[in-house]
Amino acid sequence: MEALIKVKRYNPEESEETYFQDYSIDVAEDSTILDSLIKIREEQDGTLSLRCSCRASICGSCSMRVNGSAKLVCKTRVKEISPDGEAITIEPMGNFKVIKDLVTEMDSFWSKMKSVDPYVKTSFEPEAEHIASNESMTHLLGVMNCIMCGACVSECTAMEVDPTFTGPAALAKAYRFVADPRDEEANSRLGKLNENTGVWDCTRCLACVEVCPKDVAPMERIVKMRDLAIEEGYTNTSGYRHTESFNDSIKKHGRLDETRLALESTGLLNISGLIDLAKIGIKSLIRGKLPPILPHRPKDMKKVTSIAERLDNQGKEEE
Amino acid sequence: MSKHDLLIIGAGLAGLRAAVEGVRQGLNVAVITKVHPVRSHSNAAQGGINAALTDRGDDWRDHAFSTIKGSDYLADQDAVEVMCREAGDAIIELENMGVIFSRDDEGKLGTRAFGGQKKARTYFVGAITGSALLHVLYEQSVKYNLHIYEEWFVTKLIKEDGRIAGAIAFDIKTGQMEMISAKAVVLATGGAGRVFEPSTNALICTGDGLSLAMQAGVPLMDTEMIQYHPTTLAGNGILLSEAARGDGAYLINSEGERFMEKYAPEYMELASRDVVSRAEQTEIDEGRGVDGCVFLDLRHLGKKFIEDRLGYLQEVALEFRGIDLSEKPIPIKPGMHYIMGGIKTDLNGATNVPGLYAAGECANVSVHGANRLGANSLLDTIVFGRRSAIESVEYIKSVKDVEIDSKELSKEKSRIQSILDRPKGMRSAELRDKMGSTMTKGIGVWRDTESIKYAIEGMKSIRGQLPNVYVENKGKVFNTDLTSYLELEFMVDVAESICQGANARFESRGAHFRTDVTTRNDKDWLKHTIVEYNGEELNTTSEDVTITDWEPTERVY
Amino acid sequence: MKFAFYPGCVARGAAPELYKSTMMVVDKLGIELEEIEKAACTGAGVLQEKNQKLGDVLNVRTLALAEQMGLPIMTICSTCQGVISQANHRVVNDQDYLDEINEELAKEDLYYSGKTEVKHLLWILLEDIGVEPLQKMFNIDLSGFNFAPFYGCYLIRPSDALGMTKNPKRKHSLDIVIESTGAKSTDYEGKTRCCGFPILLINQKNSLKMVAKHTGDAKDNGADAMVTPCPLCHLNLDGYQAKARKQNKRGKADLPILHLPQLIGMAMGLDPKELGVNKHLVSTANFIKSIKSKVA
Repeated sequence: MEALIKVKRYNPEESEETYFQDYSIDVAEDSTILDSLIKIREEQDGTLSLRCSCRASICGSCSMRVNGSAKLVCKTRVKEISPDGEAITIEPMGNFKVIKDLVTEMDSFWSKMKSVDPYVKTSFEPEAEHIASNESMTHLLGVMNCIMCGACVSECTAMEVDPTFTGPAALAKAYRFVADPRDEEANSRLGKLNENTGVWDCTRCLACVEVCPKDVAPMERIVKMRDLAIEEGYTNTSGYRHTESFNDSIKKHGRLDETRLALESTGLLNISGLIDLAKIGIKSLIRGKLPPILPHRPKDMKKVTSIAERLDNQGKEEE
Repeated sequence: MSKHDLLIIGAGLAGLRAAVEGVRQGLNVAVITKVHPVRSHSNAAQGGINAALTDRGDDWRDHAFSTIKGSDYLADQDAVEVMCREAGDAIIELENMGVIFSRDDEGKLGTRAFGGQKKARTYFVGAITGSALLHVLYEQSVKYNLHIYEEWFVTKLIKEDGRIAGAIAFDIKTGQMEMISAKAVVLATGGAGRVFEPSTNALICTGDGLSLAMQAGVPLMDTEMIQYHPTTLAGNGILLSEAARGDGAYLINSEGERFMEKYAPEYMELASRDVVSRAEQTEIDEGRGVDGCVFLDLRHLGKKFIEDRLGYLQEVALEFRGIDLSEKPIPIKPGMHYIMGGIKTDLNGATNVPGLYAAGECANVSVHGANRLGANSLLDTIVFGRRSAIESVEYIKSVKDVEIDSKELSKEKSRIQSILDRPKGMRSAELRDKMGSTMTKGIGVWRDTESIKYAIEGMKSIRGQLPNVYVENKGKVFNTDLTSYLELEFMVDVAESICQGANARFESRGAHFRTDVTTRNDKDWLKHTIVEYNGEELNTTSEDVTITDWEPTERVY
Repeated sequence: MKFAFYPGCVARGAAPELYKSTMMVVDKLGIELEEIEKAACTGAGVLQEKNQKLGDVLNVRTLALAEQMGLPIMTICSTCQGVISQANHRVVNDQDYLDEINEELAKEDLYYSGKTEVKHLLWILLEDIGVEPLQKMFNIDLSGFNFAPFYGCYLIRPSDALGMTKNPKRKHSLDIVIESTGAKSTDYEGKTRCCGFPILLINQKNSLKMVAKHTGDAKDNGADAMVTPCPLCHLNLDGYQAKARKQNKRGKADLPILHLPQLIGMAMGLDPKELGVNKHLVSTANFIKSIKSKVA
């Protein structure tokens, strides 16, 4: 069958401009996009640059944007993306500087990895192996499945506006150590991750969960670490105040008290933050968009608040 | 010009383990690798790593015997003893580094069964053991702040006064070419699977180190020993781990029978890989296959078990074949997978060139002889990666800095430029494809005089066409067209030495099965084949196998 | 067609114009609504961070209430849609967990069998009403207008919980509906990105960068207004547009942000003021004029 591939080209040796090049290549029915790209560079255009190696979704080399969203092209079938033969647009990963064509720099990726101290820290060497339950090890399989392909970073909406954000891949890796029973530095790791550019900068947009080819679910690891950080006593963040306030709102009203949420998250001692809020508040008031003092409550509110109260206590007991 | 004590070429398991050891030993170490360390092909190993942990009732000698029997008695028994004796410590060290090995009910390291062994001594991480190990070694490289020339391509080793002096390489990202001086060099460049087509190997497995060694005057040993793995997908050659069989999967033919009963009644699906591959090929050749395949059946293992322990296999089956392993058997066939043969080294990774070492798949100590047991390769990389670094310490202390003639660099630059300047001709992929099919046809699961001759002649013609290959991309930045051609040159060297070895060994042993000489001949052939490049042509000789405690006997599974 | 209506908290709070415009529009669409008055907040993902089980219980409770009413649910907020769908997806694929939750719900004599369908008004327009019947209800030709779709993360991710495999058109639903009015759907990067609302109170700088980028890019690519099916996105893109664009040097706040029912209502010929379009923080005066000129 004919595969129509539109590739975003860039060659710094020729020009700073990027452009799209159309290719048409004859490939087998069940071919992957990588098969097609390799065939293109081997038969039609030797100047096309891309990274690839294992062809079996384990090395992590071939992550690139397929119709706008990052995928491992070695396990993405042409027919899956374009069942009716439409052209497929291939671009390098987002949020990375491009070296050439589909090859991006990865230095920023590796340095973010390094920033989370990615190795187990133990103070003692046991005689044989550390004793650890199989459950604790298989739990880590989820994050260990990460092949460092960069797809999550490519689509991370937080990274797009803030390149200093540690990012989903490095944070998922950090979780691997926080959750490893043999690592003794979980507390200080969480303390560091609790700070600027760490776990609280994630917007919870699910883009990383959606694109990860290995179901690592970085966002869920990040959210879990927020929880763990709070458990360790790191509560001096607006993120903490935000989740507490939301929880209290539900316990009290069964619905969200937006005004209170805004105030408590900002911090009742945060004068400049409160003044800021007030400005928007006044504008909203003028337009009739200020939320009511008492939020609109569900009928039989007590049924909801009692569930919230009961499960909240249950949660506290389990801790 | 950069200078290091120890330069390691290749950042897979063997390379990184050697590097970490070098740093621990206080050396100035650098690793040079054509892909980022975690992209190395070690990550594709799935099943596990063998070790006899003597503190819990296992016996390393039993492991050694299984290995030697598996090698069809071609392994050097002193080397096997070293590997099996050191395995226990190697595993524990890996666990201490942070590998998330599977555990038993007591929280201690857990095992699975694997091919060629009666006792289960394969330690594993799901079905991603290689990846898990490689990532932990990468973590260690971060911990030790290892100096890595990332995405640099080595084109030549340099010798001065008969000893190793360094290497010439270029940065793939910029095209900048440099000479790197080093007192000692460890080749850890992995296998050469891309010489065949199909292969389970990644596209980067092009035998670079084997060719570099040959060009530097180092002999290659037992190159005819090519392992065909029993369970690979038809077409793309992607691997389905032996772990499936280790965890209880069956091999069945088109009639639904567990045919291994006929070939290896005791070990069944867990006989040595060459025995299983030949069994499958026989079934296929005799008409009990479907579209050139037999089947791997995991249905009886249950969906949850498969997802927990063999998750990566399920992923591959679904992604590449649309098959749920808990519901349907999957078609598989023998596929080219591993080269037991390689750079001849001693027990400590040293070659005949002072200062030059080799470890991992590219080396041949020999621990795998004529057939490698599953889960012994990961062990090989860790044990000999470490040993070669340690061995280099004394050597490095004993030698002075070496002066390399800068003409070496300009010579090599000119050579590369002349390749780039070639007029339009054949593309390297075309010639590589020819080589792939020639070698697969000539040096397959079955070989004979005819097929080997076919391969030799084919390779001669391919060698002759090399100068006609041109490189379309004339740029400096990420020129994979150029690196593909250079890899082709390496592969042609390797292919020719494989043919030489196959031609020399006139018996069947392990993976080298000749349909015209089907029996093993210990009287004449309990020897290694040695292939050496003297600057003009390949010379073939032989050398005795080292036997210690295990007298060669008939090999039955 | 009849739906159990789940308006969400913000439509009753800081975005009352969403509620009003919805009621005006469903009337014309022939959709009958019965509000699930006992339903709690979905938790918006924030509650789930602290207490996943509580969030799931509250959302499955909402699903059970709808089941009791014998109706599918209609939402008007991407976040509500996403969070309820995620809870639904979780329990439908884990019988043990569903049993556990049903034990909680039993205290209220509620039970969820896993069969409730939850659909955003946007999907109902596309799937239950259909593009052509919808177009027949439009009285104004909006060709010449250029609207930037802003989906809201939880309406498009994760795709398995949102029925995208069975209904792949949902991935482009907002583009399709915009184009059904005759208008063009702006081509710009931010369509499926995050508006920054979840981190507004946590990292305002980054949140505003997002608002500035998406509204700025949309405007640069010719958008006359932005349309979003999520009131939380609306709050950020509208409420903070002035500050965001100033802080990030992307010009003035000149991109009106519309709720989905407001766009549908205007296309039907309803009065923009009635639809609450004049209630937004970013001035819509000029935009309303240009719509009104089409009516004439």
